[in-house]
Amino acid sequence: MTREGQGRRVVIVDNDRTVLELLQIRLDLAGYHPLVERTAPAALETIRKMRPAAAIVELDLPAMDGFDLLKALDPRGEGLPCPVLVMARKLGPDDIREAVRLGAKDCMTKPFSGADMLERVSRLFRRPPPSLGTTRAPALV
Amino acid sequence: MGSNEGEPVQMKAQAVTQEMEASVASVLGVLAWEIELAGARCLKLDALIGELMPDMAPEQRAKLLEGLHTVDLLGQQLTSLSAFARHMSEVTPPDATAPVEAAIADMTLGALADRMLTALGGEEKGLNDGDDAGDLDLF
Repeated sequence: MTREGQGRRVVIVDNDRTVLELLQIRLDLAGYHPLVERTAPAALETIRKMRPAAAIVELDLPAMDGFDLLKALDPRGEGLPCPVLVMARKLGPDDIREAVRLGAKDCMTKPFSGADMLERVSRLFRRPPPSLGTTRAPALV
Repeated sequence: MGSNEGEPVQMKAQAVTQEMEASVASVLGVLAWEIELAGARCLKLDALIGELMPDMAPEQRAKLLEGLHTVDLLGQQLTSLSAFARHMSEVTPPDATAPVEAAIADMTLGALADRMLTALGGEEKGLNDGDDAGDLDLF
């Protein structure tokens, strides 16, 4: 079993318990330290307090949604405190544009496999090759 | 997130009883998630057995290794089934619907039934606080 996560804290926010547990198990087995939350306000608090290495955010959350969470994490537009991977059942071009504008590094459409998710998460920590310069283009697929 | 097309929920109010219907694609999608979760739980068990292995006596270790192999196969089987269900979910016509409440009512794991019901647009019944062992029927 690979331990690529190196104990990095990853916050997951989703109100779907199946998705939460699935991601939690897969991240844990890959050596990450997953922290799960079911609401955006709770995730906001955890991210501020725990300073995770990354966050996986469901956009379609009740009341305060994933976009609101991104805005709350970076109210001045200075950059999110950690790389964020957003996910949703339906991701239209406008959703992707808005998520990227708010600082998300990658987007993932549900359903996805655990293996796909792990690949996306590990990509969050990869630095772009020097030939690509310093531009931080989101890895949208 | 775009439109609601293909979303899991499709409640149809009927004259006498309210029969909950969901799109077949959504049902397959929810099923894919649950099978994937079961596969992930196998991986967890697999890792746990692997951790215990070095502390075992050689004869127990041989037995455990056999169990480990079975768990590994089960995990792979579930991952494949999940991929199949996910793929079928993607190719199933979005307008095909089916009643789901009776099928969910037949499920013997309360928390699992509750999760699936919620994912398909039904009302949560608060069985999610514990593990899936909530309403386990012993055969």
